[in-house]
Amino acid sequence: MAGEISDAIIRVRDITVQFGKTRVLDGLNLDVKRGEILGFVGPSGAGKSVLTRTIIGLVPKIAGRIEVFGVDLDAASAAERRGVERRWGILFQQGALFSSLTVRQNIQFPVREYLKVSQRLLDEIMVAKLGMVGLRPEVADRYPSELSGGMIKRVALARALALDPELVFLDEPTSGLDPIGAGDFDELVRTLQRTLGLTVFMVTHDLDSLYTACDRIAVLGNGKIIAAGSIADMQASQHPWLRQYFHGKRARAVMG
Amino acid sequence: MLLRLLRRIAFWGAVLAATGNVIIRPRRFRLTSTIHHLEQVCWRAVPIVVLITFLIGCIISQQGIFHFRKFGADIFVVDMLGVLVLREIGVLLVAIMVAGRSGSAYTAELGSMKMREEIDALRTMGFDPIEVLILPRMLALVLALPILAFLGAMAALYGGGLVAWLYGGVDPEAFLLRLRDAISIDHFIVGIIKAPVMAAVIGIVACVEGLAVQGSAESLGQHTTSSVVKGIFFVIVMDGVFAIFFASIGM
Repeated sequence: MAGEISDAIIRVRDITVQFGKTRVLDGLNLDVKRGEILGFVGPSGAGKSVLTRTIIGLVPKIAGRIEVFGVDLDAASAAERRGVERRWGILFQQGALFSSLTVRQNIQFPVREYLKVSQRLLDEIMVAKLGMVGLRPEVADRYPSELSGGMIKRVALARALALDPELVFLDEPTSGLDPIGAGDFDELVRTLQRTLGLTVFMVTHDLDSLYTACDRIAVLGNGKIIAAGSIADMQASQHPWLRQYFHGKRARAVMG
Repeated sequence: MLLRLLRRIAFWGAVLAATGNVIIRPRRFRLTSTIHHLEQVCWRAVPIVVLITFLIGCIISQQGIFHFRKFGADIFVVDMLGVLVLREIGVLLVAIMVAGRSGSAYTAELGSMKMREEIDALRTMGFDPIEVLILPRMLALVLALPILAFLGAMAALYGGGLVAWLYGGVDPEAFLLRLRDAISIDHFIVGIIKAPVMAAVIGIVACVEGLAVQGSAESLGQHTTSSVVKGIFFVIVMDGVFAIFFASIGM
């Protein structure tokens, strides 16, 4: 990870995270450029979700610095932090929709809180966001327990997009979806990124997603970024795990 | 153990800080949520609370009459009932019921929200879970318990009076006259003043347990159990502390 990228939207420096005696992230550095879709891969249990959760402030780090939108999150005041939180959207692995609220209320929740708008406008925003993620307005009054797995992910994405964020974190957005659903989802992310100018930080296992959606790929191993670059760089890499990952049976199938 | 105690104290601090924040900026107070929880923990608890305290009142009265009769002291059952119900049983029994009914519900709700990452989602959207989830629940409980304790005490007195009349032959007029002599407003105040404090203790225990739930269903069960057990334990301890306090100030 040599070289500073001047327009980095996320800048992670020397992050160390430890659970008990196990060091999960060990002096990790990562930059995410404005407007790109960064795919974040690595073996299971390598700490991909931990890094995401550390950046968004859910996991405490023992060392290092995180800047998002140029704001150092440790030094930021509560108001500055709220300002950053208003500009990002997060899609959790299981969706994390509020189970006691309907789809409508889930999507309107952040909007209602940050902006003073009428109920009619709120409903229009909700319908627009549902449309963006390819859902029909009829689902608005259902509860999360009445939705399928794919629909939950879409609604959760709609909620993440509710405040028109500049940066979106997706934690395994296609896991648990059938290949067609996953393909649609990749397409959706790509379209949204192009039309809204989003920056996307995507943790994934899905090779298809890497090929079709991502501009750049970062690979996590042993608590560090072991490689970062385009898909071609990844294929050219001699790192044993990368060779296995990008030249294994599944990878050949994806590449045709 | 020490760590757990520290965590509980830290949680008290966080709740107080959030309360202060809401007092400074009243617009951030969540009225809808508070009313919703008030309905759950107060309004919907009324039938069961009234029924149980009514029955306990009946039993105390019956037992009192049965044993006092041997000494020809039937009428003293009114004294016993009045003091016992207003000072101790009314609020203690209701607090135990609330710990079992609402404390467990709070823990289970918050615990399952924790498991589904709903609380993380709230936090990343820039909300303080304590302000959004805990404060309305705490406030609802603190308002509900005095109301329920009052209703419970009335139901117990009513039940006791009914039994005294039908079983002990103390007619209602004599009962009320005797009750007026036997108790003073102090007894009532001693009882009702304990209610909000017990509510706060039950609420804190339930919320701390709820937020301590880890990923598994087993953990949710464990924390719900321990929420009720600890809630009831602390309520009884608090009652003892209050008894000592009121005795020493002569109330």
